[in-house]
Amino acid sequence: MRAVAAIVLLSLVTVPAWAALGQARDSVQSDQRLLQGRLSTVEAQGYTVHQITRDDGGVVKEFVSPDGKVFGMAWQGPTMPNLAQLLGAHFAEFQQAAKSAHRRGPLAVHVGELVVETSGHLRSFRVRAYLINMLPNNLSPEVVQ
Amino acid sequence: MKRRLPRARRSSWHAYVLLAAGIGLLAGTGCGASSGSSSSSASGGSTPSTPSTPVNNTQPIQVGAGPAGNDINQLMTSINICVPGTSTCQTISNVLVDTGSTGIRLLASQVTLALPQLNDANNHSIGNCVAFADTSYAWGPVRIADIEIAGELASSVSVQLIGSTGFPAVPAACNTGGSNNDTVQTLGANGILGIGVLRQDCGSACATSGSQLPPVYFSCTSTNCSVTAVPSQQQLQNPVALFPQDNNGLLIALPALAAQGASSLSGSLIFGIGTQTNNALTGVQVYATDSNGNFTATFNGQAYSGSVVDSGSNGIFFLDAATLGIPTCSASPSFYCPASGVAYSAITTGANGNSGTVAFSIANAQSLFVTGNTAFNNVGGPNPGAFDFGLPFFYGRPVYVAIEGQSTSAGSGPYWAY
Repeated sequence: MRAVAAIVLLSLVTVPAWAALGQARDSVQSDQRLLQGRLSTVEAQGYTVHQITRDDGGVVKEFVSPDGKVFGMAWQGPTMPNLAQLLGAHFAEFQQAAKSAHRRGPLAVHVGELVVETSGHLRSFRVRAYLINMLPNNLSPEVVQ
Repeated sequence: MKRRLPRARRSSWHAYVLLAAGIGLLAGTGCGASSGSSSSSASGGSTPSTPSTPVNNTQPIQVGAGPAGNDINQLMTSINICVPGTSTCQTISNVLVDTGSTGIRLLASQVTLALPQLNDANNHSIGNCVAFADTSYAWGPVRIADIEIAGELASSVSVQLIGSTGFPAVPAACNTGGSNNDTVQTLGANGILGIGVLRQDCGSACATSGSQLPPVYFSCTSTNCSVTAVPSQQQLQNPVALFPQDNNGLLIALPALAAQGASSLSGSLIFGIGTQTNNALTGVQVYATDSNGNFTATFNGQAYSGSVVDSGSNGIFFLDAATLGIPTCSASPSFYCPASGVAYSAITTGANGNSGTVAFSIANAQSLFVTGNTAFNNVGGPNPGAFDFGLPFFYGRPVYVAIEGQSTSAGSGPYWAY
């Protein structure tokens, strides 16, 4: 148990503010502290949703597969989230794909296994992201909302 | 739907004081050493009152590639900014007309005037952060200016000066990870004229201290900024609501376009709804929005509740390639590229229950882009969660924007009418 505690402590120090896409669920607790939100957990058929709700209306949902990996994330709130934290190691991939000429408006990026969609306007934004190859068996990506 | 919070109690707006920016106000003439976009004009320290004769409420607008030179469907105008209560003014050209945001934001690199800084009760500078759906963001101090557009004047308005030198760096809480809109190239404009249906860029959610605040307003020392509350009246404003007249909304009128587009296009931004002979609310249906400025679009029986009318988006963004059965472009995958034009229709429904059909078409964006034209009524791309009726929606269709809480002959805003 001591080893486990040490790992958790380490993760609190070194992980980005949010449990990033594709990572283990361990950092949900630290996300809650950093976002200063209320954490609730819902067990769904074949996956778990950890939801952090802020008083300013911002809501982060982290979708976790039975093997403990974050396969999807969703954001809804009055401002845009930090995509670098949300997407973790997949951020560079997203950034490259998002640099499509001419577009000024919401984004819908599908590159490799990564899907990222952003939409909305001032005071009302939505972001959803998921990894196709990490979706639990037979689960539709539509659950990531 | 968002909760409406009561107005700030502890930090009431009169606790906020305006202090001149570090450089002396009197030294700035506003007409020296300016770039091509600057000029001096007389604003007169006007005292707003109900005019006996109507003021000029019509501002010319143009569609083109924007000052970066490589955009499409960029709706631009000029505004005049002045040191409050003086005739020391400067014209800022190529300002994006945006019904998807609220507030005036100008690149600091384009502003030669010394505008007073908005400070809080502790004499700390107030900074403002904004992020857009394309994940780009902008950061800078809040300054105070008089705003002149056509014959209208909004006095002492909070504006964001993007990328000001000598101001603390972008706070972590403001950084989306996307691009920083602090240059003409990244912003695609010299500034943004945010004139959507909402009065402020944040509203009551940013006005109540003591609760969790969205990272929009920051209190800054010389080196460090932290999120703070700012009363609604001191936030970035829809300047139209501050005009002494013609202040209940606006109308954007752009001519219709042929399917191949146009190299450029001119139209009118008309202030007021039903206040003068040129802005009567006739021949249109009123679609109320919710308190966040959203309404519902329905396509093939599926309802998308977070939909918007946004002149700052340069296409009609909706659904996805698989659902529509058309490909995205190989060179510009964020746009659709059907082999030939496809006609679509969606039903838009307001919070007031009114609904009507909107017809539009989508053509091959790649073959349109190579024509060198910059105004297109038929470009669009994926946006699976909602309909974003961008600038193509406006061509040949007068669109009224009624501001929240302002009364019109068809009831109070917020609503769109078309």
